[in-house]
Amino acid sequence: MSEEKILKDLQKSVLEYDSAGAVSAAKAAIAAKMDPLKAVEKGLVPSIETIGDKFEKMEIYLPELMLAADAMKSALALLLPLIPKGSKGAKATVVIGTVQGDVHEIGKNIVSSLLMAGGFNVIDLGVDVKTTVFIDEAKRNSAGVIGASALMSSTIGSQKDIVDFLVSSRDRKKYAVLVGGGPTTKEWAKEIGADGCGMTAVEAVALANKFSKGR
Amino acid sequence: MVQILDIMEKALEGKPMSETDYQLRLFAPKVAEKVKEHRIKWDPEIPIPSDNSLADELFEAGLELLVDVGAYCTDTGRVISYTEEEIRRSLKEAPSKLHFGEGRDRKKLVARTPEDKTPPWCLLGAGGGPCSSDRSFLTLVEGYAEIPETNAITTPAITRVGGMRVRPASPLEVLAAQRNAVLAREACNRVGREGIPIMNSLATAESDIAFAAALQPRFGMRRSDGYMICCMDPMKVDFARLNKVAVALSMGGAIGMCFGPMLGGYAGGPEGTAVSNVAHHMMGVLTYQSSWLLPFTIHLKYVASSSRDMLWVISSMGQAISRNTHLLSLNLNYTTAGPCTPMCLYETSASVMAAVVSGLSIESLGVATNKHEDRTTPVEPRISAEVAHAVAGMKRSDANELAKKLLAKYESKLSSPPLGKGLYECWDADGREPSKDYKAVIRQYKKGMADMGLELKPEL
Repeated sequence: MSEEKILKDLQKSVLEYDSAGAVSAAKAAIAAKMDPLKAVEKGLVPSIETIGDKFEKMEIYLPELMLAADAMKSALALLLPLIPKGSKGAKATVVIGTVQGDVHEIGKNIVSSLLMAGGFNVIDLGVDVKTTVFIDEAKRNSAGVIGASALMSSTIGSQKDIVDFLVSSRDRKKYAVLVGGGPTTKEWAKEIGADGCGMTAVEAVALANKFSKGR
Repeated sequence: MVQILDIMEKALEGKPMSETDYQLRLFAPKVAEKVKEHRIKWDPEIPIPSDNSLADELFEAGLELLVDVGAYCTDTGRVISYTEEEIRRSLKEAPSKLHFGEGRDRKKLVARTPEDKTPPWCLLGAGGGPCSSDRSFLTLVEGYAEIPETNAITTPAITRVGGMRVRPASPLEVLAAQRNAVLAREACNRVGREGIPIMNSLATAESDIAFAAALQPRFGMRRSDGYMICCMDPMKVDFARLNKVAVALSMGGAIGMCFGPMLGGYAGGPEGTAVSNVAHHMMGVLTYQSSWLLPFTIHLKYVASSSRDMLWVISSMGQAISRNTHLLSLNLNYTTAGPCTPMCLYETSASVMAAVVSGLSIESLGVATNKHEDRTTPVEPRISAEVAHAVAGMKRSDANELAKKLLAKYESKLSSPPLGKGLYECWDADGREPSKDYKAVIRQYKKGMADMGLELKPEL
């Protein structure tokens, strides 16, 4: 199969929310000994960027955004391990989740998918995530950014815990901590010593970009 | 009649499915399928439609959606399925009226229909918005209780106890929920409306343990209050929520399921969001054992309910429910703009009108997306209630024209709304009235409304 055809298949799989198609195209890229970085940058990234743009304009909605991100994730699972460390690939790793005691996921899912669309390697920890799990997973995945979402005024305190734990273990400088969700504000982020508050999903991605090379 | 043990049986024996598959591969495509099959289409020129056949198609689409996808229990990972017969019977058996409150404040919430002259039930307050202190909580609730149109109160949420920020399912949340109950009743007592019902019991209790703990009679909650329990979008429930249901049922409290399918979320655009809202009403009666319902759809981008497409969602789903059922449904609205701005008042006017002329009652409101502490005052719900009473009986077509005029006032500013002022910057707690600045804003707003054809009470 030609490189051109493989790249088109990768693009199409994301645009059509087709995880099986993405896996199949990624396998074809590997079988054809194609440069995996090229498969990611020329195949997957342009399509997921298109998806992100369409979502921002509300031409498509959350299910399409998440399914496209799923398709991309399926292909990345095969391609990323083949990209040598140190070469330019994914921007940075972001560990993201909804904090302990909070099961609201929509905002977190949007940011998670848009981060992926923005070229980040995203580790989505889900909802009701303990503070120590955020930190352990950030360490385990060599993440640069921790994203903590909270929808309830009673749950945003856990965002402060993440910062406090990092300070206490002298790891604060290693990770940018970004907060977001219903009751969070820039003032709150400043008060707890976080690096920023995404008032919208787009702003959250912009902040992740700002800190993608470190704090 | 489907009861709590039936729900548990269904939750334990239903079809196993992952949460992702349920919401992305079952719910979302089924919503799109129903929109297509029933040819539901929104027209931006008609934010408040008068098309009865559209409302009836929406109703059937919502019912079919619930039959096809059921609800989802996140703790068991199973689908809670309902037959069409179970759904139709539960709608028939649901109450068409309920009494809330005590003494002279005991009032009857009744079902309404589109263009109904019956004044809507006005559940007024902060809709669980965050407040920073006991002082601001009391200031707000006293103000809400003094609004003449107030039938019931929706309190703010307490965020701190003893200077410590509330933590979920911790003693702090238990104590905050108890404090919520005590202070709400105290505030009503202070202004002589001791019998008024609290219907978002309890805004501060997110966890089941805090909810149950605050229902000790000594804290002042009554059987005649309303017991609001929030659903997870889309159509989801967990054991903590079912625990709240079991507790509220055990004390004879009337449960109101609160649900907010986001426009742009799992149900897609305006059409799918309207279908999802209709299905959620029915799911609430069954899964959450609700005798009244609280839809609060918000726009994913604006986190408010005043945009053009949101007005259509509120109106069309309201008509679908009120034309085809006798369910007691109160729409909760959010604004983007904050207190002491004309935009905030225009926004709430549009959302409230869309609900009331479409056969719903109201819960009003979340101000400035309900995000900021103490950025709400008693003025915004009071204005909402004045509008709600003024538009009761208005023809939907007239409301549509007024909605377009209102949208022209604020639509272009929804992405960057003015946040206005904080509670004590524009509300005089001792004088129990808005500040001089805010009074001027209200007079300017009321003149604007009169110019558009809706006379409200004169502002003193």
